[in-house]
Amino acid sequence: MASFDTAVTGLGLVSPGGVGTEAGWAAVRDGRPTAALDPALDGAPVRLSCRVPDFDADVLLGARRALRLDPFTQFALVAAREAIADAGLDPQTWDGARVGVVLGCADGGPGTVEIQHQALLRDGPSRVSPLLLPMQLPNMLAGQTAIEFGATGPNLVVATACASGATAIGTARDLLVLDRCDVVLAGGSEAMITPLVMTGFARMGALSRREDDPATASRPFDAERDGFVAGEGAGVVVLERAADARARGARIRARVVGHGTSADAHHMTSPDPAGRGVEAAVRAALADADAAPADVQHINAHATSTPLNDLAEGQVISRVFAGAPLVTGTKGVTGHLLGAAGAVETVLTVLTVERGLIPPTASLEMLDPRLDIKVATTATRAPVELALSHSFGFGGQNAVLAIAAA
Amino acid sequence: MQNTFSSLKDILVSKLKVEPESVTPDATREDVELDSLAIVELAMVLEKEFGIAVTDDELLDTENIGSMATLIEQRIAAV
Repeated sequence: MASFDTAVTGLGLVSPGGVGTEAGWAAVRDGRPTAALDPALDGAPVRLSCRVPDFDADVLLGARRALRLDPFTQFALVAAREAIADAGLDPQTWDGARVGVVLGCADGGPGTVEIQHQALLRDGPSRVSPLLLPMQLPNMLAGQTAIEFGATGPNLVVATACASGATAIGTARDLLVLDRCDVVLAGGSEAMITPLVMTGFARMGALSRREDDPATASRPFDAERDGFVAGEGAGVVVLERAADARARGARIRARVVGHGTSADAHHMTSPDPAGRGVEAAVRAALADADAAPADVQHINAHATSTPLNDLAEGQVISRVFAGAPLVTGTKGVTGHLLGAAGAVETVLTVLTVERGLIPPTASLEMLDPRLDIKVATTATRAPVELALSHSFGFGGQNAVLAIAAA
Repeated sequence: MQNTFSSLKDILVSKLKVEPESVTPDATREDVELDSLAIVELAMVLEKEFGIAVTDDELLDTENIGSMATLIEQRIAAV
């Protein structure tokens, strides 16, 4: 069966590399790490994070609008606006009923919850904002996007933890296959760098504790890696059926040709050490793309820089692909954007395929000796016809996207 | 009254980020885009800033920003 052909016609990015796709790409291409000590985390067990620099919501969205949005929604609206403009679409004139929104996040707006919970404990119920729920509920990500752009088609938020952004894009593609709509704004957004959430991650032992050298704390596949560094931001793509995109003369930046998904059914946080769920998702994505492992030239790995993920993932890659594709872990630059990661990395993979330039894995000094894979440590020119973007979430939820050149 | 109106205007502009030029005594709450959620927020801020108890229902019943200021002034006088 030939794979179903969906076109990526627009890209939008708000990432620790900056506001905008080109700023984010430049940081990743140049291997410039963004992790730093975060004053907002003073007193937390680990103070490292990758923040979006110079994100002025009042300027980008208007102060009245921004005031009523948690940052996870602010990031998404800015990224979606860029993606829509990049696709050459105009929300003033489009048929909104045929425009869907599928976005992912792991946790909605925990920052808003924490502020309002403090108000409740300190000042009592009369000081709790009526905006607590409309600001923090995860579904508002897609709801607010619909309001902002008049997108009245299918509208939902998906949650598969750190795979959410990839799950959203795969689900959006399914909507196009079923002809539920003609255009989907798909991606993910996250703003989880709060004292409570980050303390929770630290208590799990998931975070890098390399506070003495923040720039090299996120070091995917490195022998000395010790955990992830949390990032924030959003990635949004405009997806259309490829035939529709061609018919309207849109610029096709790359195509999403396969989506594989699976559950480990193993443990609430640890990946299956044998990587069975990951392998199943990879093979399902390849089958959906009507491709063989040998067709894949590049993998944007999940590569969180945690000891367990990178080992299990790297072993699956060497088992399935026999060492051929050039692998990169862009979290070395961006940190781990959690529910937005899969969407941000899809944007980066589209750019990799489009530009024939595989970005480096920042801070990788010595490959974990247990791994037999080829990992890019410098920006590498190479034609990429087919790439995979891996995303794996807590709870063993796996999503792999196959991205082909236009 | 003039003083209370400008204090209310300051609150609307600084706390609720309403456009300053839209806040006139004759403006309705629709004119300044205050939905029911914003009115609850406003009641909270008024309690905090002026130490007065005014409910969101009372604020929703006012005809315009001017009459909202009059209501607030009455409450301040009664404290």
